[in-house]
Amino acid sequence: MLLAFALSPLLVVAIGALLLMLAEAFSKVRAGLALGTAVVFFAGTVLSAAVWLYGLENVPNLGVLAPWLIIDRFSLFFDALLCLGGGLAALLAGGYLPEHKIERGEFYSLLLFATFGAMMLAASGDFLTLFLGLETMSIGAYAMTAFRRTSARSAEGALKYFLLGSFAAAILLYGFALLYGATGHTDLAGVGAGVKTGDHAPMLLIAMVLVLAGLAFKVSAVPFHMWTPDAYEGAPTPGTTYMAVAVKSGAFAMLLRVLLTCFGDARSMSWSNGWPPALAWMAVATMTVANLIAGRQESVKRMLAYSSIAHAGYLLVGVVATMKNPGQGTASVLFYLLTYTVSTAGAFGTLILCGRNGAEAVSYEDLAGVGRRHPAAALAFSLFLLSLAGFPPTAGFFGKWFVFRAAMESGFTWLTVIAFLNSVLGAYYYLRVMVFLYMREPAAGAPIATPMRSGYVNAALLVSAVIVVLLGLSPSLSLDVAVKAAASFGG
Amino acid sequence: MAAVETPSNEPGTNPSSPYSVLVVGAMLLVIASASYVVVPEALAKVLGGVGSLLPILIPALVVGAMPRGRSMGVRLALGAIAALLALFVRNMWPGAETAADPATPPVESHTLLSWLIGLPFLGAAAILFLPRQAPRTLKAVTLGVMFLSLLASVPLLQVSMGREFHFDQDVVWVERFGIHYHVALDGISLWLVMLTVFIMPIATYVSFGSIETRIKDWCFALLVLQGAMIGALVAMDLFLFYVFWEVMLVPMYVMIGVWGGANRIKAAIKFFLFTMTGSVLMLVAIFYLAYSYSRASGGQMSFDYFELQRVMLPHHIQMWVWGAFALSFFIKVPMFPVHTWLPDAHTEAPTGGSIILAAVMLKMGTYGYMRFCMGLFPEACGWSAATLGGVSVLGGILYGALCAWKQDDVKRLVAYSSVAHLGYVMLGLFAATPASMAGSVLQMVNHGVSTGALFLLVGVIYDRRHTRMLDQFGGLAKVMPLYSALFVIVALSSVGLPGTNGFVGEFMIITGTFVSNRLGHVNGIQAVGAALGVILAALYMLGAVQKMFFGKVTNPENKKLTDINGRELIAVTPLIGMIFIVGLFPNLLLEPMSGAIARIHDDYSVRTENNPAPKFYAGPIKLQARRPEAPKPLLKAPPADAPATDKAPAAEGH
Repeated sequence: MLLAFALSPLLVVAIGALLLMLAEAFSKVRAGLALGTAVVFFAGTVLSAAVWLYGLENVPNLGVLAPWLIIDRFSLFFDALLCLGGGLAALLAGGYLPEHKIERGEFYSLLLFATFGAMMLAASGDFLTLFLGLETMSIGAYAMTAFRRTSARSAEGALKYFLLGSFAAAILLYGFALLYGATGHTDLAGVGAGVKTGDHAPMLLIAMVLVLAGLAFKVSAVPFHMWTPDAYEGAPTPGTTYMAVAVKSGAFAMLLRVLLTCFGDARSMSWSNGWPPALAWMAVATMTVANLIAGRQESVKRMLAYSSIAHAGYLLVGVVATMKNPGQGTASVLFYLLTYTVSTAGAFGTLILCGRNGAEAVSYEDLAGVGRRHPAAALAFSLFLLSLAGFPPTAGFFGKWFVFRAAMESGFTWLTVIAFLNSVLGAYYYLRVMVFLYMREPAAGAPIATPMRSGYVNAALLVSAVIVVLLGLSPSLSLDVAVKAAASFGG
Repeated sequence: MAAVETPSNEPGTNPSSPYSVLVVGAMLLVIASASYVVVPEALAKVLGGVGSLLPILIPALVVGAMPRGRSMGVRLALGAIAALLALFVRNMWPGAETAADPATPPVESHTLLSWLIGLPFLGAAAILFLPRQAPRTLKAVTLGVMFLSLLASVPLLQVSMGREFHFDQDVVWVERFGIHYHVALDGISLWLVMLTVFIMPIATYVSFGSIETRIKDWCFALLVLQGAMIGALVAMDLFLFYVFWEVMLVPMYVMIGVWGGANRIKAAIKFFLFTMTGSVLMLVAIFYLAYSYSRASGGQMSFDYFELQRVMLPHHIQMWVWGAFALSFFIKVPMFPVHTWLPDAHTEAPTGGSIILAAVMLKMGTYGYMRFCMGLFPEACGWSAATLGGVSVLGGILYGALCAWKQDDVKRLVAYSSVAHLGYVMLGLFAATPASMAGSVLQMVNHGVSTGALFLLVGVIYDRRHTRMLDQFGGLAKVMPLYSALFVIVALSSVGLPGTNGFVGEFMIITGTFVSNRLGHVNGIQAVGAALGVILAALYMLGAVQKMFFGKVTNPENKKLTDINGRELIAVTPLIGMIFIVGLFPNLLLEPMSGAIARIHDDYSVRTENNPAPKFYAGPIKLQARRPEAPKPLLKAPPADAPATDKAPAAEGH
């Protein structure tokens, strides 16, 4: 029974998804679906917190799940984080889909199933469950991208995402296969032990490169980022939100688990030999390229897509910082994911809020003058943008602070300086949105953005804004949680 | 005072120079009699009770001597300002407080600084909930909060400052990283805080005359800005300092970008990106410093100024860390060659924004250099002082003055004159003698008062003509006599005429620089260059005055201009008063800051002489003893001379 309790975050999302499908099939009232989804996600968050507080050490028999599922504080943290991201996306969808007349119940089931996949990914301790979780999550994301059936952009983005995603999954699988061949294990811990012995070095090296490529694709690191802007732009905005926050968090959970468990030993973690140098350069490329391209965008949605790539770069800095100090590096990544989730969900949410049916706010021009006509929406947007730009006293500032601090203390001063300079580049395009919000008026004859009215969207924004401000003012509690989650993680 | 509304077409504004002479005369009388209040007690005894009545008599005189045509509201407001200034002089006079106060020193409230920071933020939050359709309420609330801040800052003046820090408050913020909310005040930050709470209501009040749109946003930005600026001036935790430093940026960015001139967006973005580039590098340096501290102290985390002051970095690291701090401050000051954002920002900013930017925000750079660069990295400061002193003379004082000379736009001229004036301040800091540093701090205040007044007066003419080009004006003295008189007073104070504030500051800096032994082989040449700058200042400032005010009224548009109105007069009077008060009684300001100046000078001298440049210190990162003046640490500090731990990794992060 306690075992079921420990698994309850996963179970409640899975069962909720099934029930919701039934409800959608047999009921003609669709209005409650978003609320139902949000409630399921909320239950998932609460249950993960409950399990956390109860203490996993009090749950006997957790070992029977190993190596398939590893329920530890790391996975519980991700359960709560993913449910938070999913819940925000569900609330946004509850406002967006009816407004744009594309409400179909599948979207909510897709959200729940994809989140289930991501949670499984965060908890998996074996290549098989890992791949299962990855595909469950990815298929949900592919379908969400293609959700707007009449739109060519949506189809284009989905096709790109699907094809490239399949390739990446195949490459990842190839890497796993080679790892299995080299070590004879499919569970992460076993593979890690095999890697440590150092036999079959060339094969391991090739496997590591393949795995890295696959993982980098999933977190959309440069040069594996090509699908991201198209997929993010094509997807309905709540779907974009979901991909930017939950799918990315799930991918980072996988990245941390695989890299730290399989390749976490001293030899392959050295600066001259192993994945950290590759990842460090990838982080530099990701931040710089994404920030430079984001500054040139004309569409805010696309800009936010590039910004999410840039944030993957900052997160990779934190992953690199695990080299000298796994606990602190991991904790900084976890905390950054939390701040990034609320800020990004809020930014996309305000973009949703600023549009109406037939007049979705997409470009910078669409936002001109919103600060004058709708001060509350503009103020919220500014808050989230400042948080994304890493401005004190918002959540994003502490997120960046902890990641860069971890990098600095691991000896990567040059990487930290590059990351900081990149955050100035980032400030440029976030500020550009504020320029349009406050300092420009729409051109004569241009359509004027009128915010939609939706309690769901408002609720999502309120939740995000409160968390952004709270984390900015007093990050201690959530930081402790992140540190504990990182510490319990075997890496 | 907030409710004073003066119709702009009042009868008294016709060109009748006797009236303006009367007003100026009355002001001079205010000053003269203010000094009279405080002359030796013997004289006061002679006068009996009359002496103590003078703060009432002076305003009565001012109110009575006003020319016809000024409304009663304006008269009363000016009278109140005169009374406040007289009270300020009387109570700040050295020795006066012993007479006024009994032997018990006033109790220092530990939360006072937090109130000073918090009041504006609370006010800003309140503004959010007020309807934007009620501009009068919004304005009243904003001004009310600012006056409340001014009132709350009075106890700061009642403490005898000395070498220590006062009003210390230390609360744990993020325990895991040793981040504290730590605020404290010494004699240097005292005057900058006072300057802030003094200038903000003035800038706000005058801006309400010209800002017509989006009053609510404007009020919100002003209050957030005030809170952040005060926070940055009193923060004694580097993390907290950085937070306020960054928060300060956003309202100013919005002010320039929303209410600015034609090229406002470009100027706003330029301002933001310049400043942010500097500040993120400073953040890296703050990291590195805290990281070094935790290595040297065996894992203890702290961002506390007084703890980080103990860190002794080897020279090849200290130069980089100092460089990151210094770059950030130099951009803010701004020093040549990173000054280019300033003319654009000033030209485009609305009048209120310009006043705040020039009067307070630029001081953050000089204050930061004094507090953080000189306090944390004295060796690196001493090592670079000669070069940077040269830069501040050539690139700041002389180049800034020459640029100002060539400007056609009077606001741009004042902006470049800021570059020159802050060159003096920086030169005084590089010279690092007690006199030059005291002169620098005094000049920070002076520049705030004089340049604030200049921007205010430039805004007055801009509101009437919507141009600031010098060749558009000429002969204004006949059309706007009072305005011209005020402008000339302020311009002369900016040039540094004896008897005004500018003279005292620049004189102290130049003499202090002349005797400094820190400025390289060609000792004293910097002082010569700085003195040359005073001549150039007279050239550009008086040249502009001549072009604007004297000669014939050539442009027909200038013929029907109205003289300065009540609102503008009320706003500029306190500044004019301060120009003379500081110019005549500089000791009022110098006395409270002398202890802090001596402390900084002593610390700086000891460290730079013990560790001479260029290879001032080569050894490992180590901690020194905590300064005796530092407030008691909240948490137990490790033993004073804790040696560098051997466990610290030897490799540097390259």
